[in-house]
Amino acid sequence: MTSIKSALTLAGAVVLLFFAVSSSAATLHATVTADGKGQLVNAVVYAIPKTGLSAAQKEAAKKAINQIDKEFVPSVSVFQTGTDVEFPNQDNIRHHVYSFSDAKTFEIPLYKGVPADPVKFDQPGVVNLGCNIHDWMTAHVLITDTPYFGISNTEGNVVLNDLPVGDYNVYVWHPQQSADTESTSQQVVLHENDDVSLSFTVQEKKQWVPFRAPTRASGSY
Amino acid sequence: MFQFNSFRTRLLVFLVSLLGLVLSAVFFSVNQANISNARLHIEDALRITAGTFAKTLKDRENILTDKVRLLSGDFAFKSAFATRDAETIRSALENHRQRVGANIMLLLTMDGETIAETTPTDGITDPASLSDLLNLAMNSQYHEASAIQVINGQAFQMVAVPLFTPQPSAWILIGFVIDNALALELREFTHSEVSLLYQGKQAPWQVIATTLGEDIALQLNDPVITDEQASTGVYDVELDNEVYLSLALSVQKSDVGAGVAILQRSLDAALLPYLRLRTLMLILFGIGLILSVIGAAMIARGLSSPIELLVKAAQRIEEGDYSEGVDIQRKDEIGTLATSVNNMVEGLAERDKVQNLLGKVISREVADELLSKDIELGGEEQEVTMLFSDVRNFTSLCEGQSPGEILNLLNRYLTHMSKPVEDHKGIVDKYIGDAIMALFGAPIHHPDSPQRALNCGLQMLSELKNFNAILMAEGRQPLAIGIGINTAVVVAGNMGSINRLNYTVIGDGVNLASRLEALTKRYGVEMMVAQATRDRCPDFSFRELDLVKVKGKDDPVAIYEPISATGSLSAKTRACLDRYHEAIRLYRDQQWDAAENIFSRLITEDTDRPIYHLYLARVAEFRRNPPPVDWDNVVVFNEK
Repeated sequence: MTSIKSALTLAGAVVLLFFAVSSSAATLHATVTADGKGQLVNAVVYAIPKTGLSAAQKEAAKKAINQIDKEFVPSVSVFQTGTDVEFPNQDNIRHHVYSFSDAKTFEIPLYKGVPADPVKFDQPGVVNLGCNIHDWMTAHVLITDTPYFGISNTEGNVVLNDLPVGDYNVYVWHPQQSADTESTSQQVVLHENDDVSLSFTVQEKKQWVPFRAPTRASGSY
Repeated sequence: MFQFNSFRTRLLVFLVSLLGLVLSAVFFSVNQANISNARLHIEDALRITAGTFAKTLKDRENILTDKVRLLSGDFAFKSAFATRDAETIRSALENHRQRVGANIMLLLTMDGETIAETTPTDGITDPASLSDLLNLAMNSQYHEASAIQVINGQAFQMVAVPLFTPQPSAWILIGFVIDNALALELREFTHSEVSLLYQGKQAPWQVIATTLGEDIALQLNDPVITDEQASTGVYDVELDNEVYLSLALSVQKSDVGAGVAILQRSLDAALLPYLRLRTLMLILFGIGLILSVIGAAMIARGLSSPIELLVKAAQRIEEGDYSEGVDIQRKDEIGTLATSVNNMVEGLAERDKVQNLLGKVISREVADELLSKDIELGGEEQEVTMLFSDVRNFTSLCEGQSPGEILNLLNRYLTHMSKPVEDHKGIVDKYIGDAIMALFGAPIHHPDSPQRALNCGLQMLSELKNFNAILMAEGRQPLAIGIGINTAVVVAGNMGSINRLNYTVIGDGVNLASRLEALTKRYGVEMMVAQATRDRCPDFSFRELDLVKVKGKDDPVAIYEPISATGSLSAKTRACLDRYHEAIRLYRDQQWDAAENIFSRLITEDTDRPIYHLYLARVAEFRRNPPPVDWDNVVVFNEK
């Protein structure tokens, strides 16, 4: 968390320099592996220009984290700071989404369908989402100032397209990572039409799964 | 009496020992069976209980865990936790502690630092002491753990569950006190004494809950618990002088500490119903024993008193008293025996009577002979010495006397004369008026029968002198007798009809003895024996009387007068005897003068014997009428 804050501070300091960077673009390929376990899915890779970010680079679009079949979909998300996020409930039962995380503490008491107001994630950081009535439902959201991010697919690959040319700090974050995000960051310099490939290895910690009593059929309540 | 007592005692001892043995065997086998049965029962019960007990503890642990889980899922609590406000958190903790009925509750950071704690006593728990429990939880499937743990001297069932918000963000620890109340509760359904022992790291075993008294439970400590005992079966523990069958059950073996539950059932308590039965059994056995002693004594008495009577009867029989039998009116074996004894008494009395009578009528030896074997007609040839005696001139003696007086005199005489016969083992064959016929060597053969007959004759003569003295004292005339003895092979046996028979002897030799007796008077001697008898008495000296031919016999017989045993002859008597025999030889040689000379001189020089006169008369006769040329010296007697 400390690392993210310092990253944001750094980002804030260089945001005015953003437009000075050439508009020509480059592509960043990142492959994330779990230490000793192969490709790691759901790892967030994000790149922060060393020169800082401009306001124009903010995304305006609403995002959504669905509740489908008593699970958060997707279970891992990454949003730019200030993104409005909706929590559409696709199930025919109510959910009660909450977060006690420092980056965003909120609660949408029992609801069906799409809540009227989206939740604005206005601070960078990690937000852990839960459902009050379904203990096993968890989702993890990374809020970051940079718009340059992606989530690894099942092959552990992340592609960041259209990155402006420049110097970047590239980070990887995973909900079960044990190491500091800062410590695994890599620096990369992107030139016109570059297609750079990076590799990240994440030290995974054991995933703690809350006790879920065995039932007649999984997900029946 | 001693015998009877001994019999009674033996019967008693036998019965009592037999019964005692059987009862003891029954008692001990029942006792053993009951004890081992009780043991088996207890062991089975303990094993079954152990299974239930382990499950109960597990269930309890699960229930407690469930409670804590519910708590960890409680949104309000999560919300409170999210406030980061220590007082709020503590207060929420206390609320939840009361809600689940726990005794202690802590909230620790994921690193094990205390965030909040609530206990009834507000005791401060050292979070380091909980690290083992947290480690245990950390490494388990759902990051939950439950363990018995002693905190600040108090045993708790501790449950650790993570608080998810929704990511794991704290440890909730809840403790439920383990104390004697729990043990008592467990005893309710196990019906066993329950003790829980705990051993912390490098700490000794300690009793944390027990249904036994604390001081008793202390004896369960340390040395009792071995791994072996914890895993294998049932063992005995003696507590407070009471044997408990114990089963140790490992209920916890982790880094947090070791826990053992000891289930116990008192053997004595299990045996209690049996002990009552045993007392009853002992009483019944005692009664049985007493009754059997009484019964045995009565049976013994019932046997011994009639036996006593029977013995007395037998003793009377032994003494020859057949006057009374035995009076036992019973229908059993004793009664049969008494009847037999009575029959025997009658039989013996009858036989005794017969024997007595026989002995009086006939000689005792013959009576015995007759009684000893089957009586049958017929006899066997054997050498017998016959003795005949007769009172001389008895008929004239009897003149003027009543038959009663005569019989009386005769009986007295015969009684006197019979004694020598018995003394010399002869038998009186029969009395013929005043005559006695006695046998020697029949029915029982004796080689010295002739000598005995001779001695008998001599004794009869001396008895006669005594009897005569008595008679003369009574003013009666003395009696004179003649005795004739002969030894010959005769037929001896039972003679007569099948219904009436006599034991007697028959043969020429018998007649000769009778004839000799008759001849005594003629030769002026009291006793006369035939050649055959003389020859069988080599140590005796005889005076040869004559050669005679009696009626009914063709062969001449030499007849002799017995004098005395050769050894006791005086020199003078011997000399006279020799001269006499010389004279006889001269006489037979017809040297009348020489014979006459000796006979004459013997009359004066020896005793004046009729035989001398007899031969002097013969010599005188032959001088007048010389004998024929074929004279054979034999005198012929034709009269009986």
